[in-house]
Amino acid sequence: MINSIRLIFALSWRNLWRNKRRTLIILFAIILGVWAMIVTAAFMRGMVFQMLEDTVDNLAGHVQIHHPQYLDDPVIDNSFNPQSAAVSKLLQDPRIALSSTRIRLAAVIVSERESSGITMLGIDPAQESKVSFIGRSVVEGRFLDSTSDNGIVIGKALADKLQTRLGKRIVLMSQDINNEIADRGFRIVGIFDAPLDPTEKSFIFIAKDNAEKMLGLKNKASEIVLRLHNTDMVNSLVNDYAQFDKNIDVMSWLKAEPYLEMMIELMDSSMFIWYLIVFLAMAFGIINTLLMAVFERTREFGLFQALGQKPGFILFQVWLEAVLMIIVGLVIGNILSWLSVLATGDGIDVSVFARGMEMLNMSNIIPFVITFDDLIVANLTVAILGMLTGLYPAWRASRLVPAHAITRI
Amino acid sequence: MRHLVIQIFSFLLLFHLAVSSQAETAAQLIRQAMDNYRGLSSYSEASMTIHRPDWERVMSMKVWTQGLDKSLVRITAPIKDKNGGSLLIGDNMWSYAPKINRVIKIPSSMSNQSWMGSDFSNNDIARADEIINNYTHTLLETKKINNRLTYIIQSVPNEDAPVVWGKEIITINDHYVLLKHEFYDQDNILIKTLTASEIKKVGDKYISLKQRMQKTDHANEWTEVVTTVVKFNVTFNKNTFTLSNLRNPR
Repeated sequence: MINSIRLIFALSWRNLWRNKRRTLIILFAIILGVWAMIVTAAFMRGMVFQMLEDTVDNLAGHVQIHHPQYLDDPVIDNSFNPQSAAVSKLLQDPRIALSSTRIRLAAVIVSERESSGITMLGIDPAQESKVSFIGRSVVEGRFLDSTSDNGIVIGKALADKLQTRLGKRIVLMSQDINNEIADRGFRIVGIFDAPLDPTEKSFIFIAKDNAEKMLGLKNKASEIVLRLHNTDMVNSLVNDYAQFDKNIDVMSWLKAEPYLEMMIELMDSSMFIWYLIVFLAMAFGIINTLLMAVFERTREFGLFQALGQKPGFILFQVWLEAVLMIIVGLVIGNILSWLSVLATGDGIDVSVFARGMEMLNMSNIIPFVITFDDLIVANLTVAILGMLTGLYPAWRASRLVPAHAITRI
Repeated sequence: MRHLVIQIFSFLLLFHLAVSSQAETAAQLIRQAMDNYRGLSSYSEASMTIHRPDWERVMSMKVWTQGLDKSLVRITAPIKDKNGGSLLIGDNMWSYAPKINRVIKIPSSMSNQSWMGSDFSNNDIARADEIINNYTHTLLETKKINNRLTYIIQSVPNEDAPVVWGKEIITINDHYVLLKHEFYDQDNILIKTLTASEIKKVGDKYISLKQRMQKTDHANEWTEVVTTVVKFNVTFNKNTFTLSNLRNPR
């Protein structure tokens, strides 16, 4: 039995290389297909991964705590007490790595020449710098250094828009707790640089104490953002505290960013469709090549059968040719895609399309991310479907009638 | 030795007094100019000309003021804008548009926008008296212009003042009439200038009847307010400075 399998294996392998050019061409097609599948998957994954990272980094955190109505109407009235017993208890949860309490409200920033609508963030610099991008994004001047720092940190693009710069004073206006105009002058102590212009244009940072003083808020916050030790803990934590306290609403960042959630789902399903399309092109090549090979060897198969070889034997032999081809293609394809991902390093720079990418809220460098799941799905799709398609020519070969086959020229 | 110490001390004390009294004078001058201009209560009629390179527009209005924190402006002409107006109480400002029959509270986001299409911003109108509290005033120069003693005062906003200007230079004469108000940005570049002229004595007060706001960048664009009638110490109805009066003039 082992001997005959070894024999079939040897026969298939040698048959495969009887017409080198043809085999190499189809092998190349398989390799290219596998490579395209994996690299595209890695690129799309990378895009999503980057968006997730940016979003979490961009103030969203992993879990957010708000007043129940805050997301519908982010005004000063919809703030909550961050020191209430319930919130303090929640913050003790061991799954939480970091947290940042913020006052986050719409405001207007005014320079001598321009004004602009923005979102002001009253923060505790020590907390915030660990939770979001801002701690490491200040490129000019410095970040706020205490909860009573009198400065303001604004984005580069906003500074350009307002025709102001580091060291100048601007006025911040918003509505205080009595719905009266609250305004105050701040000196720009830092300018931050973010991968995306909209981030730079829409957020400004001031110290929490000053925000409270300006708005007449006492012990109130608009949101608390949490970073967990592990992203997998997000759902369990949110579920544990879903009905925790009626004054606060605990939710995952995915829910706060429904667009992203949709993107991830879309990405998963479109990836599989992409695999199928690539595979379909590949499958026709495989079938065509093998049918050709079978056709060339009609006399040979007739002779085998006339000499007493069973049809099953021929079926297995031709099918094995397909399988070998696919396996070789998969191995080389995987190695190649791994090498090309390795070669791109941190990712590819798509800054040529910067404006378009910005519309999608994506930054200019997209890393390639190969996940184990994507590899399995791509390889299994090619392997299983490829083996199935290999069955057809093999079946054709095994169904030849010896008498006809031998006489055929 | 002891003598010397006393001398130094008294010198320092004197110097300190001189500085603080000087600051006080400057601030006092400003306050007096403000009070003088607004009076305790006033009624006036004025016309406002908004000039642009390719068009010009004239509006007539009546203005009632009480102290420094209440005022009502009502448009009387052209017909298109008749009965429209603004009400100011403290820091709050409401605007009434007869066409849509709505009173709108001017939100902070609009406070830097133009007031009725003129070169005055809502802030210029609403916060004219802010200059007293949020600034440090220094008397730069005293000189004679047209035989009148004239004070030139530099006002620098405090660090946390809700003022975007780097400094403002105010010229006041000894009748406490504000002659010129220049707004500089934080690089000391002149942005806009308010100039007052046609100084007249009304009752026992001197006031300027003509005021022009001019942006430095646009020589051909200015807004001029000319006061035609002015009365001081008038008595008002209780409901003069109310939203209902803004909406339904009686």
